[in-house]
Amino acid sequence: MAQKIDVCAVAELPPGERRIVAWDDLEIGVFNCDGTLYAIEDRCSHDDGPLAEGEFDEGKCTVECPRHGSLFDLKTGKPLTLPAYVPVDTFPVIIEEETIKLEVE
Amino acid sequence: MALTENEQLARINADYTERYGFHDAENYLYKAPKGLNREIIEKISEFKSEPEWMRDFRLKAYEHFLARPQPTWGSPMLAEVDYDDIHYFVRASERAERSWDDVPDDVKKTFDRLGIPEAERKFLSGVGAQYESEVVYHQVREDLEKQGVIFKDMDSGLRDHEDLVREYFATVIPANDNKLAALNSSVWSGGSFVYVPPGVHVEMPLQAYFRINTESMGQFERTLIIADEGSYVHYVEGCTAPTYSSSSLHSAVVELIAKPGARIRYTTVQNWSTNVFNLVTKRAVAQEDATVEWVDCNLGSKLTMKFPSVYLMGERAHGEILSIAFAGAGQHQDAGGKIVHAAPNTTSNIFAKSISKDGGRGSYRGLLEVAKGAHGAKSKVVCDALLLDDHSRSDTYPTIRIGDDDVNISHEATVSKVGEDQLFYLMSHGINEEEAGKLIVNGFIEPITKELPMEYAVEMNRLIELQMEGSIG
Repeated sequence: MAQKIDVCAVAELPPGERRIVAWDDLEIGVFNCDGTLYAIEDRCSHDDGPLAEGEFDEGKCTVECPRHGSLFDLKTGKPLTLPAYVPVDTFPVIIEEETIKLEVE
Repeated sequence: MALTENEQLARINADYTERYGFHDAENYLYKAPKGLNREIIEKISEFKSEPEWMRDFRLKAYEHFLARPQPTWGSPMLAEVDYDDIHYFVRASERAERSWDDVPDDVKKTFDRLGIPEAERKFLSGVGAQYESEVVYHQVREDLEKQGVIFKDMDSGLRDHEDLVREYFATVIPANDNKLAALNSSVWSGGSFVYVPPGVHVEMPLQAYFRINTESMGQFERTLIIADEGSYVHYVEGCTAPTYSSSSLHSAVVELIAKPGARIRYTTVQNWSTNVFNLVTKRAVAQEDATVEWVDCNLGSKLTMKFPSVYLMGERAHGEILSIAFAGAGQHQDAGGKIVHAAPNTTSNIFAKSISKDGGRGSYRGLLEVAKGAHGAKSKVVCDALLLDDHSRSDTYPTIRIGDDDVNISHEATVSKVGEDQLFYLMSHGINEEEAGKLIVNGFIEPITKELPMEYAVEMNRLIELQMEGSIG
């Protein structure tokens, strides 16, 4: 069943910034691309290493896996370059009462 | 008096040094000192008058190269690679000429000796000749150029088709894919850029020939081939170098993109001298209904680590890897291939053959991966090893990962020795021992050599035969 988890206050995640939150046994990266928020699973589908701490390109709304260089589209979770070829999970981001929240199941 | 075939072969055998291992005087425009730093990378970029994004790409790749440890999972010989003892950039000529007459004399003589201009006249659609770091000659048939086929050296490709290069460059092999890809990304120079427009079939092969001349040289070509929808191209590469006592490094990155319905065949006849570390990353993407074939023949080098791969990204895509490795004294051929079935109803074959003799070591290292949801995938992997004596070695490292239930995968592996009974059988039919040995080896590799263009199959058989001299008995 879907539930909402808190990330942080809206003011704490300005454009170009990111934040990694833990929920259950998942880690999720939340990114602010020029005012729009996106959330993806913090796990590269290539070898299960951490993803969200990689280089974040705010303009293109991508993150680059720090381990082998796969570039992921933050809007869709799809890899734009190899070696990863399977999309990672994405999560809906909502704002309630000036707080950023994620919808997770 | 005419020599018998065997005597001729015996004469050829003695002489890698004479045929390929010679070297020219160094009349270079620029030769970087040994070792690598940011200044050398900036200088390479400046020499080539590159756009800023490429310079930044190189410098970022250099950071990745520094940050990564030397791999430890491959051959123990990898530990011998000394990155500080390499010249990373050597410029022999101002530009890639379109006429052999304009190529500097020394360099032209080398390629004449290797038979390249002659081969171009006879059976190729286009030729690129790389000497040290840069391509000195490049030509493609006029009719193909009129159809929109682009076949240039990578430096010219970037200059003349920047948008196309920027769209695809490093999308198949990112800069920090691995340490050697990061090194190539930071210092790449030369290689080929090929684009084949939709529906165009390039009937005769395009060829690139790579030559290292300087001692302790690093050659880092970068090749990108894009076959647009429904097109076909066959690219062939050959390589040789002088024999020196110190080591050279060849570390290429090759990216292939076969769009829907396209077919790319990429053939390599690698015959580096036995002081060359050959550490290459080759990877292809095959979209819907596309086919990519790697035909990979490794004869030379001290150590080769090369595992061409195909990612089958679209439904019904097909991948094929045919690999021959011949490991003689002091050599380790760590070869094989990788196929990833990422879409339904995709098919693939890997056929790998290795021959080890005089204490040489041949390894097959392969990956076959079927993603979840890639139902209907079919694959066959066959790797065979032939040992010609008791002190040579063969290893097999196959990895198979299957993420879907509805697949058809087979794997076969054999290791055999040239047996007394096989030799006896052939000799009882009046064939002498040496001939019998060659017949056995040629029969062993025939499934792969028959896939080579005729001229290369002849060369390959000749090379195998000369490697075989004095092997049996």
